[in-house]
Order: sequence, then structure tokens, then C-alpha cells
Amino acid sequence: MPEPLDQEAYQRRLDRLSEMFGSMMETVEDLTTKRCPYKNKEGRCTAGFGCRNQRKPPQKGEKYICGGDDKLDYRSAWEVP
Amino acid sequence: MTELNQVTNEFIRGEIDEFVERPEERERMISMFAACRPEMLDIGAALIEGEDGVVDELTRAQLDAGTEALEVMDDGLIAGMALVGIKFRENFIFVPEVLSCARAMKAGMAHIEPILSDAGIEPVGKVVMGTVKGDLHDIGKNLCIMMLRGAGFEVIDLGVDTSPDDFIDAVEEHSPLVMGMSALLTTTMPNMGKTIDAFVDADLREAVKIMVGGAPVTPEFAEDMGADGYGKDAMECVAIAKQLVGVGSGA
Repeated sequence: MPEPLDQEAYQRRLDRLSEMFGSMMETVEDLTTKRCPYKNKEGRCTAGFGCRNQRKPPQKGEKYICGGDDKLDYRSAWEVP
Repeated sequence: MTELNQVTNEFIRGEIDEFVERPEERERMISMFAACRPEMLDIGAALIEGEDGVVDELTRAQLDAGTEALEVMDDGLIAGMALVGIKFRENFIFVPEVLSCARAMKAGMAHIEPILSDAGIEPVGKVVMGTVKGDLHDIGKNLCIMMLRGAGFEVIDLGVDTSPDDFIDAVEEHSPLVMGMSALLTTTMPNMGKTIDAFVDADLREAVKIMVGGAPVTPEFAEDMGADGYGKDAMECVAIAKQLVGVGSGA
């Protein structure tokens, strides 16, 4: 017999998701002190703005390579419009 | 004890094998995914890969085939996101990948929301979110949106570089209970105040509660500019939004 879809059942799923996302935010908090949040797992830049750490990608149309060393405050490299 | 080879999806088996290192967590993941139907594992796998188009398609197909919405949520979307959380915590993936997975989750939830609505389950509230004019930084806003959606809010994302007129148009169009503005730069932070002034000038200030956040923003600055709430991070953003719509106690 499937669980009925009601407010309580849905709320339990939301609570679980909120708990999961809450843990992720703790990781975000820790990670952003040492790694630019716009840098993906391949070391490419996903920012929609200029940054002095962006290096030309090997293929046209690919994302910039992040040239930051993660030791400096990456924010100082971000270019503002 | 359930064995890894009882997880029928090869991709998810590989993910558990490669990325889930803590024994108790590994056991929990194996037993959770081993209990899921293959169709749900396909949805979970697509979510883990951040493939929103695939999640969209598979979720639609499953719901059309009569699968219960709660099964899709539990065994497809939430199970997939649980593995994403572990990979993120262990630094196998980073914020951009997490946000892709959150987009994939949204693609699946878009098909579940009408079913929830038919069952009399409505969103906690509607929120319009945007990064202010002149500011192109979107990670903080996007994390807030992920958290808000996870908490049951409907969110309209206006993106970056949002002018006061764009905020006003969105509030007039969607009638949200709350509007959130984000800024990362000290140079763009005053545009939050200008946007609030524009709402006053348009005689719309009472139409919506306004919350603000972003690295340079302080509670004092938020109060001075006339915001209704300030959140220092995505967790507080959700607490403030709940407080502004009248659910929960807030931060």
C-alpha cells in the first residue's frame, strides 16, 4: 500500500532535503575560504564575469581554465563591470 | 547485509564504489539504492550527472506511467541528491556541480508540483530572487534558491544584473510574498537601496516583503535601506523567508 500523498508526507521529504542542503551549506562555508566557488571539478571557470585568473581554453567555446592557485583571496581577481 | 552488486544501475554502483568511503554511509547508500526500482535509479543517475533534460524526461515518463510522486521523490530525486551531498562533502565535486544537480532536481520537481497542488499541497510561499543591477555574481543567490526550493518555496529567479524595473515587473507579474536581493560588491550594494526606493516610488513597497543578503551587506545596512529582513547566508535566507511569510520562528 503506497503512502498517501498529503502535507505531512511531503513535509517529511522537505525536511530531509533541507537537512541535506544544510549540510551542503556547511561544506560551502568551509570550501569558499580556500577555493573559488565558480571553479568546477575540472578546474574550469563557470563565472559569468571577467576574472584575472581566467586562462584561455584549448578549444574555442570551452570554459576558461582557472589559473588561480587557491592560496590567495580569489575575490581580488574578480573584475567588476 | 546488502551487497553493492544488488544495486542494479551500473553508474550508481560505480559512484558508490568510487566516492562513498565511510563504511556506515556506504552500507546505507547500498541498501537504499538496492531497494529502488531500475527506473528510479535512472532518474537518480541523471540527477547525479546534473542532466536536467534527462531528469525532466524520465520523471515525466514515470509519472505518466502511473508511478507515485512520492516514489519518484524518494527513490529518484532525493536518493540521487543524497549521493551528491556525499561527493560534495568529500570534495569530489564542487559548487558548480551541486548547482547543476539542483537544477536537475528542479526539472523533476516541476512535474511533481502539479500533483502536489492537486492533492491540496501548496508551496510555503512564492519568492522572487535576483542579483542587483551591475552585479554579475550569482553563486550566493543560486545557493539561496536551492535552499528555498528545498524548503518548499516556489522561486522565480530573475538572474543577475537585475534592474529595479525588472524587480518591480516581476513582483507585479508573480505577486510573491517575498522578494530577495543579493549583491556581492560594495559598489553594487547601494543598488539594493535604490531598488527599495523604486518600490516606494511605484507605490508597491507594501506589496512585498524584501530581504537582502550578500557578503558586504550587514544587518545595519539592511535596516538603513529599509529592508524587511537580512540573511548572512543561505540558511538564514530560508529562515528569514519563512519568518516573512509567517511560518516558523525565523533566524
